[in-house]
Amino acid sequence: MSNSGEIWVIGEQRRGRLEEVSLELLSKGMALSQRMGVTLSAVLLGDEVEEVAREFVFHGAEKIYLLEDARLRYYHSEAYARLLAGVIKEHEPQVVLIGATEIGKELAPKVAAKLRTGLTAHCIDLYVGEVDASPHLIHVVPGWGGNLVMHIICPQKRPQVVTMKPGVLPKTVRDDNKKGKIIRVKPDVTDEDFNRIETVEVVEEPPQGKSLESAEVVVCGGWGMNALGGFSKVQELADILGGVVAGTRPAVDKGWVDEARMIGQSGKTVSPGLFLSLGASGAMHYTTSFMGSKVVLAVDHNPQAPIFQMADIGIVGDLREILPYLIEELKKDRMPKKF
Amino acid sequence: MGLEILVCIKQVPHPDHFSEIRLDVDSGRIVREDIPAVINPLDRNALEEGLRIKERFSGRVTVLSMGPPQAQKALEEALAMGADRGILLCDVAFAGADTLATANALFYAIRKLGKFDLIYCGNETVDSGTAQVGPQLAELLDIPQVSGVQEVTFGDENILEVKRALEYGYMKVRLKLPALLCVTRDINRPRLPTVQSIMEVAQKEMVIWKAKDIGAPPESVGLKGSPTCAAGVYEHKAGRRREIIQGSTEEKVQRAVARLKELGVI
Amino acid sequence: MDLNLSREHEMLRDMVKEFADNELAPRALELDNKGEFFWEQVKRSGQLGLIGVINSKEYGGTAMGHLARMILIEEISRVYPPMGFFHQTGNLLMYAVETFGSDEQKKKYLPALCKGEKVSALALTEATGGSDPANMQTEATLEGDDYVVNGRKSWITAVDPADVVGFVARTGDKFNTFIVEKGTPGFEVTRREETIGLRSLPVNEFALTSCRLPKENLIGEEGRGLASALTTIATIGRTGAAGVGLGIARGCYEIALKFAKERVLYGKPIAALQAIQFMLADMNVEIEAAKWLCYSTAWQLDQGKTSRDLAVDIARCKLYAVDVANRCAYKAMDIMGAYGLSPEYRTIGLLRDALELGVAAGSQGIMKVTIGATITR
Repeated sequence: MSNSGEIWVIGEQRRGRLEEVSLELLSKGMALSQRMGVTLSAVLLGDEVEEVAREFVFHGAEKIYLLEDARLRYYHSEAYARLLAGVIKEHEPQVVLIGATEIGKELAPKVAAKLRTGLTAHCIDLYVGEVDASPHLIHVVPGWGGNLVMHIICPQKRPQVVTMKPGVLPKTVRDDNKKGKIIRVKPDVTDEDFNRIETVEVVEEPPQGKSLESAEVVVCGGWGMNALGGFSKVQELADILGGVVAGTRPAVDKGWVDEARMIGQSGKTVSPGLFLSLGASGAMHYTTSFMGSKVVLAVDHNPQAPIFQMADIGIVGDLREILPYLIEELKKDRMPKKF
Repeated sequence: MGLEILVCIKQVPHPDHFSEIRLDVDSGRIVREDIPAVINPLDRNALEEGLRIKERFSGRVTVLSMGPPQAQKALEEALAMGADRGILLCDVAFAGADTLATANALFYAIRKLGKFDLIYCGNETVDSGTAQVGPQLAELLDIPQVSGVQEVTFGDENILEVKRALEYGYMKVRLKLPALLCVTRDINRPRLPTVQSIMEVAQKEMVIWKAKDIGAPPESVGLKGSPTCAAGVYEHKAGRRREIIQGSTEEKVQRAVARLKELGVI
Repeated sequence: MDLNLSREHEMLRDMVKEFADNELAPRALELDNKGEFFWEQVKRSGQLGLIGVINSKEYGGTAMGHLARMILIEEISRVYPPMGFFHQTGNLLMYAVETFGSDEQKKKYLPALCKGEKVSALALTEATGGSDPANMQTEATLEGDDYVVNGRKSWITAVDPADVVGFVARTGDKFNTFIVEKGTPGFEVTRREETIGLRSLPVNEFALTSCRLPKENLIGEEGRGLASALTTIATIGRTGAAGVGLGIARGCYEIALKFAKERVLYGKPIAALQAIQFMLADMNVEIEAAKWLCYSTAWQLDQGKTSRDLAVDIARCKLYAVDVANRCAYKAMDIMGAYGLSPEYRTIGLLRDALELGVAAGSQGIMKVTIGATITR
């Protein structure tokens, strides 16, 4: 590659709590920095977040640019986008990784547009490869039906900005012996940054118990659960396997499961050890959201359902007959393995 | 009040038919010509919001889309829902655009159309799902923008209060107009066209513009204007085993569970 | 010869399909079981402009025409035939008033009917036979400025909730069409029939006992009531019944086709078996033929041809579409085996609805009488 710029991870914190996706991006960042022989740095905006900045160092960032100001305590799209674009212009990293959280999905395009540079969303992989006999960073994006992937490149403009969804990559391992530089950058925040948008209220209630993204077993029900009148069997299976319940969009619409537990393009992405898909036929916006699972078991009545292309084990049949047997069989062995 | 409202829409393949989309391995192209096409579902929510604002405050709703000739049908559907005029940006010069080049094309068209008080977009499309064009367009227009919008309330003067989704909660912000909002399905339930509004479509303005009509420099749109480009489409050998278990219901379940044990996941 | 539907007709079809799939289909089975109807959805249909498609805008209609009406009835009937049938019978009096009524009558009745805020029925049949209307016994005698009516009408769809009912009565050896409003003394719904199909919609008998109606309630020219009623039934009733038949036929075909692609026997979907393919092919051909018979008839009505000019076309499309609906329902059940008998798959419900169409707007036999008599003239 013709550039010598750094690999940057834009870290995300909310109320002094580090967003896990940042640690997932660091793992990819480390792989790229080693492969390309350049420094891995992070950037963090906020107020009184030095401890969070330190976590980035313990998780593999060689440097972290820390921009602190009381007015940056909460995410503000105009202030954050301008400051990030500024610090990127000054230091010219060649690759910028941003987590595709609700905030990241809004911030990344604003920053990329300010820089008039390329942005690829929802990558599932990033690696240095060859295109037409030249080395390029290849952005791998899932395509139609989940059976296709697209390779995207950003041949000229720099930085290349890439977003990745939480739950796709593994996290880096924390090592508090790691050493790194915290570079304090005094952000030139002005009142004008807050002129057009004013934050009125931020309300966040992270759910109790295991989050969808960190669960080892996910049991996901779809429209086919209609024949059983709802999700009680889904819950039962999740309980037996020590996993969490999730649902597709139709299941959310029916009120069987909360939107926060929705798997899909506009929902969550998961990569558990075992993913059970029950009565969900496998439309694209669903299947790409569990592609990273180690093993997928699908149950559906329709042998032509696309889900069976995305599954390791498939059971075709009537859910009303199959689920009771499945519950019985799994009860016989009630000790779920740890991975 | 008389607000000028713009809604950006995209025509996409019908989501129910996504699994029929195939890769032609010889040409490396995606084959989707026979799939029925619709307005991107969230764009209908965006349009519904625009129509409600117009009904409440009076004004005009313009729909704008960049696409191939068949995208005209999507604009007609938008007119049938109640939009006042439709503009299609259709030119081979626009082809191959990534989200920035798309935002550029829309930007030049908007510059030609004049000032808008409010621009609505669907938060993301069902096909590429990047959720990027809205924020990028707002940057080019230098207007404030919010994604993930679930609720909009009008305050005094030109101030909006907007509620936007977070993973486990929400954020409320106040915006000054002109502004661009990217809406989610929570915001409203799109109306159906009525017989009356369908019959009015023929009287409404529909224009098709090329790159030179909007003064878009060739290096800003289409493939030339795209910092990113596709380097290939491949079948994803997910390495899924695709084992369909045979037997009676009881046998299928027993064998499936046994396989899961063999694979070490239970 | 341009066989393409206009853009507006395509948009109409898309809209009605979405309305039917999202707002009617979910409760279709439940309502069929209970024998209840979706009267709230009638208002919704009115709001969408679907009820008044053959009425003029001046009186609240949308004036999109007969082909539009055929398409919308077809799309609705594909998932919930009773609503399609409601558009068939509910439009009868609306057409009669529009075509034969006075300006005052149009202003009085049409706007609310177009909006779906009020519903109507039209009664011709009585015990003496719907196929033999000239022998009807219901009598209207002029007494001063009023007509006094005595008689009983039977097998009339949806008189029960109707706000406005049109009916034909003899006056001497001539016939008149009248309007009676719900609550008028001497007008009483006496019975609801037990029907095997279209169970959501009531089929009633009603009695007129010394029912006093002012002259203003007479529709059209005095003494010409039977002619107006028969023209109405041909133009609106038969075409509507044909549309319901088309919808039922297509509904059965789509369900059977989807089932055949999914149902696995002998290791592959049954759609791979020629016997199944033959049945589906037969359905495919008949539905397409019925569609063109119906659409071309409706199109000609839109061009201004009268029901007299089109007597054979109208009878033909009703005759054929209803027969095709019945045949497709049987074939669908054949293809689906035991599942075809299961109510949740809807085919058995659609078959029962198809059975009711035989006698709607004139029996299948009467259709053949019309065709035979005309072609041998």
